[in-house]
Amino acid sequence: MKNFLLSGLLLLLLPLAACSPSTSETSTQSKTEIKPLVTGAIPDQDPQKLQRQYTKLAAYLEKQLGVPVEYKPVTDYAAAVTAFKVGDLDLVWFGGLTGVQAQLQVPGAEAIAQRDIDQKFHSVFIANKNSGLTQFKTINDLQQLRGYTFTFGSESSTSGRLMPQYFLQQAGIKLDEFKGEVGFSGDHDKTIKLVEAGTYNAGAVNEKVWLQRVKSKEVDLNKVQVIWRSPSYYDYHWVINPQVKQRYGDDFVQKVQTAFLKLDPKVPEQKEILDLLQADKFISTKNSNYTQIEAVGRQIGKIK
Amino acid sequence: MNRKDIKGRFHRTLPKQPSLLNSRTMWGLLFVAAVIWSLHESGLFERDLVNVGGWTLVMRFLIAATRPELDVEFLQLTLEATLQTLAYGVCGTAFSLIFGLVGGILSSEVWWQSISLVKFPTPWLVVRFFLAIPRAIHELIWGLFFINIFGLDPLVAVLAIAIPFGAITAKVFSEILDETPRQPLMALLNSGVSPLNAFVYSLIPQSFPNLLSYAFYRFECSIRSAAVLGIIGAGGLGYQILLSLQSLRYEEMWTFLIALVLLSGSTDFWSAMLRRSIGAPSRLDLNLHLSKPKSTLQNTQTLAIHLLQGDRLVKVSLFAAIGLLIFSFWYVNADFTKLSSPQTFDLLIGVIQDSFPPDITKFYQLFTLSAQTLAMSILAIAIAGIGGILLSFPAANNLLLPEDNSHSLWGITVLVFTRFLLLFTRAIPAPIWALIFLFVLFPGILPGAIALAIHNLGILGRLMAEVIENLDQRPLRSLQALGATNSQIFLYGILPRTLSRFVAYILYRWEVCIRATVIVGLVGAGGLGRLLTEQLSSFDYKGLVSTLICFICLTFLVDLISATVRRSLR
Repeated sequence: MKNFLLSGLLLLLLPLAACSPSTSETSTQSKTEIKPLVTGAIPDQDPQKLQRQYTKLAAYLEKQLGVPVEYKPVTDYAAAVTAFKVGDLDLVWFGGLTGVQAQLQVPGAEAIAQRDIDQKFHSVFIANKNSGLTQFKTINDLQQLRGYTFTFGSESSTSGRLMPQYFLQQAGIKLDEFKGEVGFSGDHDKTIKLVEAGTYNAGAVNEKVWLQRVKSKEVDLNKVQVIWRSPSYYDYHWVINPQVKQRYGDDFVQKVQTAFLKLDPKVPEQKEILDLLQADKFISTKNSNYTQIEAVGRQIGKIK
Repeated sequence: MNRKDIKGRFHRTLPKQPSLLNSRTMWGLLFVAAVIWSLHESGLFERDLVNVGGWTLVMRFLIAATRPELDVEFLQLTLEATLQTLAYGVCGTAFSLIFGLVGGILSSEVWWQSISLVKFPTPWLVVRFFLAIPRAIHELIWGLFFINIFGLDPLVAVLAIAIPFGAITAKVFSEILDETPRQPLMALLNSGVSPLNAFVYSLIPQSFPNLLSYAFYRFECSIRSAAVLGIIGAGGLGYQILLSLQSLRYEEMWTFLIALVLLSGSTDFWSAMLRRSIGAPSRLDLNLHLSKPKSTLQNTQTLAIHLLQGDRLVKVSLFAAIGLLIFSFWYVNADFTKLSSPQTFDLLIGVIQDSFPPDITKFYQLFTLSAQTLAMSILAIAIAGIGGILLSFPAANNLLLPEDNSHSLWGITVLVFTRFLLLFTRAIPAPIWALIFLFVLFPGILPGAIALAIHNLGILGRLMAEVIENLDQRPLRSLQALGATNSQIFLYGILPRTLSRFVAYILYRWEVCIRATVIVGLVGAGGLGRLLTEQLSSFDYKGLVSTLICFICLTFLVDLISATVRRSLR
C-alpha cells in the first residue's frame, strides 16, 4: 500500500518537474528575442470581427515599428483595463470611459491617437418599429421612453451606456422608470439584434457600429429605426502603457503615434485597415480631452 | 383493575401516534414559507417578469439545435477548446487534491488528537475556520481576483479551481478521516510510531477508497467549473459558448454545447465505472451515520483485492489519470514563475490597499440585495429539489424491480432519455442557462433562479438516482412478493428509505447554490452578483469587499441552517 501511495505521489510530482525546464526555456528565449508589443481592444463588437481587424493592424504596426506585435482578445471591458494595468497589454483601443479608467490606474499611460470621428462621437437610440416609438426632436423627448423596455450595451461602454445614461438623466428619466429592469446586452451588435428581435423596445448604441451594420445590410430596417441622435462627445482612443519606453526606447511612444497618423487611405492595404476600423484617418489626442468623460463617469459612479 | 390501569396498559401495547408537531413538520412548514417569501421577493406578484418580445430569439436558438455547425475547421476549434477545458479541469483537480490532502489532515480532529492527545485542541478549530473562507467564495470570484494579480495567464483558471476546491476537498477529507475507525491508528500511536507515519500506515490506506471516490467526484466538478471560468476569459468551451452566444451564432453554439455535454458525460461515466469497481458506488456520501465504518473496511479490502488481482479498470484508470495529468500541464502551459515574481507581490499589495477599508455606505442596498440573493437560492433549490426527485426515479436503472420491467424497450427508452436530460442540464453551466433565460425574462432574480435550478436539477437528479440504485433490494422484493402494486412499493418501500437522503443532498446543493448565485448575477441576473459586476466594471474595490463580506455571511448562514436541518432529520 505504501509503495503504491508513494509511487502515486512521485508520479503526481513528475509533470511538475517536466514542466519546469520548458518554462525556463521559453523565458531565456524571450530574453534573446525581442518581447512582442501586445495590443488589445475592448470587445465592443462581434468578437470575430474584432479578431480580423486587429490582426491586420498588428501586421501593419509590426512593419512600421520593427518589433513583433501581437493581438490578444479580451472578453470584457473591465478585463481589458485590468490586463492593461497588470502589464499584459501594452497598447489598447479603449472607449472613452475605459480609457479614463486605464489612465487613472496606470500612472504615465498616455492617450496617443484616435479616429477623426472620435472627437465628435455620437450615440444613437434605436427602437423596434412595433413599439410605436417615433423620432425624437429634442433631448426632452427621451421622456417618451418611460414605460418601455430598454437595454444598454456593456456596463462600461461609453457610447452604449455612460453617455446615454447621462442624457437620460438630463432629460429627467430614472432607470427604474423603464418597464422591467434595464438590460445590459454586452456589446453594440447584441443591442441591435435584441432590439431588432423585439426583446427590448429600445436601446442605445454606438453610432458608428450602427451605420456600418446598416451599410452592410446586417440590420433589418423594417424592424428597427433610429429615434434619436445624441450630442457629441470624445470617445475611443489608443492608450499606451509607459512600460514600452523601457522595453523599446524612450521615443517608442512617439513612433507608435506616428505609425497611426501615417495610415494613408490612398495605400490599398492601409485603406483596408482604416475601413475595418471605420476611420478615414487617425489624429493625435491627449489625456486632457477626456475631462468631460471623467466628470460624467464620476457622476454616474463608474469612476471612484 | 381500574380504568387508569387499563388506559396505561393500552398505551403500552399500542404504539403512540407520533405528534404532527415534530421538528420535521416544522422544517417543512418553514420551507413552504421560505418559498412563498422568495416568490414575493422575485416580484412574481407585482412586476412584469416575462419579456414576450424575446420568443423569436428563443425559437431561433432551438431551431439551430437541429443543424449544429459541423465544418471541419470549426470542429478543430471545438476540439482545441474541449481539450483546454479538460486540461484546466485536470490541473485544477490535481492542485486541489494536494491542498485537500494536506488541509484535510490538518483540519481533522483525529490528527490534532494524535499529536497532542487533548480532546479539543485549538489549532483544529483555527484551521477549520481559515478553510471556511476560501470555500465560501465562488471559483469565478477567485478567477476575477487572480486576473488582477496574474493578468491573462492560464494560471488564473488553474488556481481559481484549485483554491476553493482544495478547501472543499480538505473539509470532506477531514470528515472522512474523522469517521474512519481509529483502532489501528491508536495501536500504532501507542507503540510509539510518530503521528505522520501512523497516519500513512493506518488511516489513509483505510479511507483510501472513499478519498479516491471523492477525488473523482471533484474531477467531475472541476470540469464543470473550468467551463464556467471560460466566461471570464480563461478560454476553452465556456469562453467559446459565450462568444457564440454574444454574436448570436446559435449553430456554432450548439456544436460547443454538444462537445461540453460529451466531455462532461464521459468524465461522469468514467468516474462512475471506477467507483463501482472499487466498491464505493456513491459519488458523494453525505454522512448520515449509516453503517459507514464497516463499509469503509470492506471497501479497503475490496480495493486491496482489486489491486492485487490487477483489476484492469482501476489499473488503466490510474495510468490514464497520470497520462492526462502530464498532458494537461503541458497543454495549459501556465507560467508558474509568476507565483513568486516580485510583480505579483506588488500587484497583490496594490489590490489590498485599494480594497480597504470596505465601503459600507450602501448598507441598505446591500441588505435588500442579500435578501434577493437568498430568495434566488431558495427558489432555485426548491425547483431543483422537486424536479430532481421526480426525475431521479425514471433515471435509476433498478427502479421498480427491474427483472420484469426495465428490459422492456419502453423502460430502456425512458431510462436513457431521463439520464440524457439530466446530463444535458448539468453539463451546461448555470450562467449560460441564465443568458438564455434572459431572452424572455427581465433581469432580476427569477432568470437567475431558473438557471441555477436547471443546472442543479441535473446534478441532484443524478445523485438521487444513485441513492435509489444503491438501495437494498430485499425489502422491495418482499413487498412485491406480498402482492404490492408498483405505486405501493414506491410509497412504502422506496420513498421512506430515500427521502431523508434526498433532503440531505438538497440541503448540500443549497449550500452550493448560494455560492453560485454570484455567477448568474455576473451575466445580468439579479441579486448581489449584479451589483458585483457593476462594481467590477467601476473598479470600486472598496465596495467590492463589502459585497463579498455580505456573500460570505450569507454562505455561512445557509451552511448553518443546512447543518441544523440535517442534524434534526437524522
